[in-house]
Amino acid sequence: MTDEIRFEHISMEFPGVLANDDISLSIRNGEVFALVGENGAGKSTLMNILYGINTPTAGELYVRGEKVTNFSPKAAIDRGIGMVHQHFMLVPSFTVAQNIVLGREPKNAGVLFDNRKAEKLTRELVEEYGLEVDPSAEVRDISVGLQQRVEILKTLYRGADILILDEPTAVLTPQETDELFEVIRRIVREKQMTVIIITHKLYEVMAISDRVGVMRQGRLIGVENTCDVDERKLASMMVGRPVLFDHLEKTGTPGEVAIKVDDLYVADNRGLPAVRGVSLEVRRGEVLGIAAIEGNGQSELLEAITGLRKINRGKVSVCGKDAANKTPGEIRALGLSHVPEDRLSTGVDKAASVADNLLIGRQKEKRFNLFGFHQRRSTVERYASELYQKFDIRGAGIRTEVGSMSGGNMQKVVVAREFTFDTPVLVISQPTRGVDIGAMEFFHTRIIEKRNEGAAILLSSADLDEVFRLSDRIITLYEGKITGEFRADEITKEEIGLYMTGTGEGAKA
Amino acid sequence: MKKRINVGYLVALLISLSVALLIGAAILAISGHNPLVAYRALLGGAFSNARHIGDMLEYAMVLCLCGLACDIGSRVGIFNVGGEGQLLLGAIIAAQIGVWLSGTSAWIAIPLAALGAMAVGGFYAWIPGVLKVKLKVNEVITTIMLNTVAAFLCQFLAKGPWKNANKNIVAGTGNLPGEFWLSKLVPGSNLSTAILVSAVLTFLVWYILQKTTKGYEMRLVGDNPRFARFAGLKTDRIVIITMVISGMMCGLVGMFRVYGAEHIYKSTVSNEYYFEGLMVAMIAQYQPLPTVIISLIFAILKIGAMGMETAAGVPKQLYLIIQTVVIFCMAAETGIRAAIGKAQEKRRAALDVKARREGGAAHE
Amino acid sequence: MNNQNVWSTIFSAGTFAQMLRSATPVALAALGGLMTEHAGIMNIGMDGMILMGAFVAAVASYFLASAALGVLAAVAFGVLIGLFFALFTVKLRSDEFIIGCALNTFALGVTAFLSREIFGLSGTSGYAVPSLPKVTIPLIDRIPFVGEVLSGHSVFVYVTWLLVIVMWLFVYRTPVGFWIRASGESPETLRTAGKNPERMKWIASILCGVFCGLAGAHLSLGYLNGSFVEGMSASRGYIAFACVIFAAANPAKAYLAALMFGFFDALGLRLQDYISSDLTGTIPYIITIIMMVYVVVSGQKRRERLAKQQLKKLE
Repeated sequence: MTDEIRFEHISMEFPGVLANDDISLSIRNGEVFALVGENGAGKSTLMNILYGINTPTAGELYVRGEKVTNFSPKAAIDRGIGMVHQHFMLVPSFTVAQNIVLGREPKNAGVLFDNRKAEKLTRELVEEYGLEVDPSAEVRDISVGLQQRVEILKTLYRGADILILDEPTAVLTPQETDELFEVIRRIVREKQMTVIIITHKLYEVMAISDRVGVMRQGRLIGVENTCDVDERKLASMMVGRPVLFDHLEKTGTPGEVAIKVDDLYVADNRGLPAVRGVSLEVRRGEVLGIAAIEGNGQSELLEAITGLRKINRGKVSVCGKDAANKTPGEIRALGLSHVPEDRLSTGVDKAASVADNLLIGRQKEKRFNLFGFHQRRSTVERYASELYQKFDIRGAGIRTEVGSMSGGNMQKVVVAREFTFDTPVLVISQPTRGVDIGAMEFFHTRIIEKRNEGAAILLSSADLDEVFRLSDRIITLYEGKITGEFRADEITKEEIGLYMTGTGEGAKA
Repeated sequence: MKKRINVGYLVALLISLSVALLIGAAILAISGHNPLVAYRALLGGAFSNARHIGDMLEYAMVLCLCGLACDIGSRVGIFNVGGEGQLLLGAIIAAQIGVWLSGTSAWIAIPLAALGAMAVGGFYAWIPGVLKVKLKVNEVITTIMLNTVAAFLCQFLAKGPWKNANKNIVAGTGNLPGEFWLSKLVPGSNLSTAILVSAVLTFLVWYILQKTTKGYEMRLVGDNPRFARFAGLKTDRIVIITMVISGMMCGLVGMFRVYGAEHIYKSTVSNEYYFEGLMVAMIAQYQPLPTVIISLIFAILKIGAMGMETAAGVPKQLYLIIQTVVIFCMAAETGIRAAIGKAQEKRRAALDVKARREGGAAHE
Repeated sequence: MNNQNVWSTIFSAGTFAQMLRSATPVALAALGGLMTEHAGIMNIGMDGMILMGAFVAAVASYFLASAALGVLAAVAFGVLIGLFFALFTVKLRSDEFIIGCALNTFALGVTAFLSREIFGLSGTSGYAVPSLPKVTIPLIDRIPFVGEVLSGHSVFVYVTWLLVIVMWLFVYRTPVGFWIRASGESPETLRTAGKNPERMKWIASILCGVFCGLAGAHLSLGYLNGSFVEGMSASRGYIAFACVIFAAANPAKAYLAALMFGFFDALGLRLQDYISSDLTGTIPYIITIIMMVYVVVSGQKRRERLAKQQLKKLE
């Protein structure tokens, strides 16, 4: 085997973030190389350099021994590199065939686009690689799994022999994942392709890769032969220390029911059913965790409960009062606070100051108003400064724009605001996404404090360890349905994993 | 185009103005005029006597109110391009109310006319507001369409049912009874007591936007409506009410034009004045204080240009050219600065990485 | 007034001939506007582009004594104005609305200023500007009604038909058309396909300038027997924009939308004796608003239906 790709001392800095820090790495011809690391570890940035989307700030890149000087996707395509991005790069209104040939269209008489030939070429590829998909279907009408196939076919059409897959399984069902892995094995075996797969799911690394590189905070921590390591070893490399947090002291016994959801149906953005008949209860003084792979209805469920999304059928009550299809403001008035999944789009006003972001929700309180309308800026700033210190927000003070802060500090602003409402119900989604380990511990402690004080907490997180650590009870969601409910201390992560993929006991029977 | 008003902004504004005046001078020179003579005539047109200054202030008032109407809309993320229609309808209804109420006291007629103008203007802004909020229909296009509809409608009324008895006036409502005229601050000019009301209004807009809890809520709605809704604000209501208030302001401007200056509704009530106010607001980055200042500058240019036309024989449309060149310069400046900033960032990042690496090497 | 008389006026050959005439400048501009729309640029500035195109065409036609050269000059100018528009909206990333708005006002100012400077009055009405020929279609002009409707128009009426077909082919049947559409719908996709989306936006913007230039040339040289009048674009740029939105940027549908506008415009002119043309004049604009609401509502309905179908498939 020879070196297909060589990174030499590659660094990439974005404004304020060193995304890649002095990375040297070789990837061999004909191997499946897995690149693992937490969110924000710099995996995608490194691969975007390989694909020419990013030009590295420093360092060199060699492809088949040749130094890369021209960083552009076009040049990368010409070098035989194909990339399937995490967010698919497809034109929704174009057909499958039109998407595949985009940029290298077959032509009729040298001028007109030859749709028939495009579909014929697509069909040939479909047959050659066994990736079944209808060439004439519009991309917006086909499932996510099929869209991913279109992405792969696209790179193959362009003659790629190096294939980069950026978190390809995040949106796939287990069956689709199995099929994808089958395809990867086939193209490596039969076509001698080199495949780089970015992931943070360790069992996938074990299942598919020959070698694995671990990244953490922009650095490459190590490269191993997959057969020489196990998941535990990789996990400790990823987080930089053995995954072992201090024990969180949980006290008290659950009280009355504060969130009650009954036979709930909710649609996703495309109008497809995302939540299908979910019923659950959360009591005061307990944390109910939702374990699910992204895209199985957990986001829609929480949005429906908090009033951000329309409920098609079913009941929701908060603190004993009907909360179905009310506005977020009305539901908050019932006694609910919400740390939303996407803090940038929902949790903050990026253009506003820290103080303004901390104030919202309380702006009508008497102490902040003179004569009921004049905003008392000094009182607002004093209040904001208190929270700023209490929640250990670090930045250039309460007058800085929130948009210029790091993810962790931005999240602290959100948590500071929402937790200070002291409501009996807390809905928390992805509390530590993109947050460093130190801050993570901070958020966990705060959440358990709230629990011990008697709040009913509904928690959703993509981080299974987090769900385990914080929850008293765990439910698993799969394709919008609850597939299991457990006490957190009576089940293992491995078992939960089965239920999350719809292959648990219930599904098997 | 949301950004802070700071020294950089002022410098950019001054440079843009200078460039625009230079380009204007070049155009003048090419078309055979002496730029210095023309510009002196322009200044003279605006300042040479009290009547000119009065006209200039009145026009600044119109621009400023229109600009502020645009500012408040933009604060909640809705773009009221329909001010022209709201202004025209407000003007014609106010004029007709004056005709209907002739013989009654001015203390009854003037407030009723103002209320009528605001009601009509507000309603005419409510339509695109609701369409935007409830159906997500682009308000820019609907308001543009509604402008033309309003212009036609006023034309119809002024030629038909509400036509002036005087045959020589082809399209105009009846004359406003003299006792309803707002008193002039400068005799012979357009400047009336309306400017005092406008000054109060301007202060109110500034105060509400910058200093009150409502203004704070409006800003959050405009910045990120999803977040504002999430935080419990009634975003739909806030947007619609703001749009209606914006329309009411435009309607009131129409009333001011009729009661303060024209004393009749005819097409000279507004010649796309709202669009000039809109451009003032754009250059002012939708901030109230700069809106006031730029209104004054544009009013000097426009009223001055009329004087320039008579005194130096230069077509007054030159001011439209100067005005738009200011906008293009401001836009270009923003774009160029962003590009420069990006390039600097890249260079700095490279230096950073290099320094870190060398520092690291020294340690080892 | 006589009811039958009204109806026969409405559906007379004259109405439909006028419809074609009114629709043509709007349709030409709309063909340009749909290019920028596909490229993801909200183009409010078409009105100004048309106005300047009309002025350039009139001036060139007057000084060069040739309507054809006038058209050519308008096209060349369209390229320039397209470049100017793209410089701001694409390269400098300025707010599209601001630039469009400023362009309209600039056009108003510069054409008025120059026409007064050059001709000494507000337009060229006092001067004989060579205009474009009218075309009589042999055979068809003999057919009653149809001949009256279709034959005898300015040459651009027929050129527009051809251009609608050409643009439809360009947008939906050529690689560049695909790239332009992708540059608006999903620019990063196009970039990862190795094509530069910004370049596509430049091309779209230039094409828009050219078509608006043609629309302007038609206005000053074909529509009104060769003359330039201040503000003669008369909001046609906005109507063209509305047509583009209504047609989802499809050239054929945009032409139909322009025809609808033309029909109501013609109706207003023809029914002047019965009803104020100011009132009928509002109809196309009101219809445009209703169109926009309809497009939004029907889009929602379609999505709901689609979701229901997929739901059935799942269950």
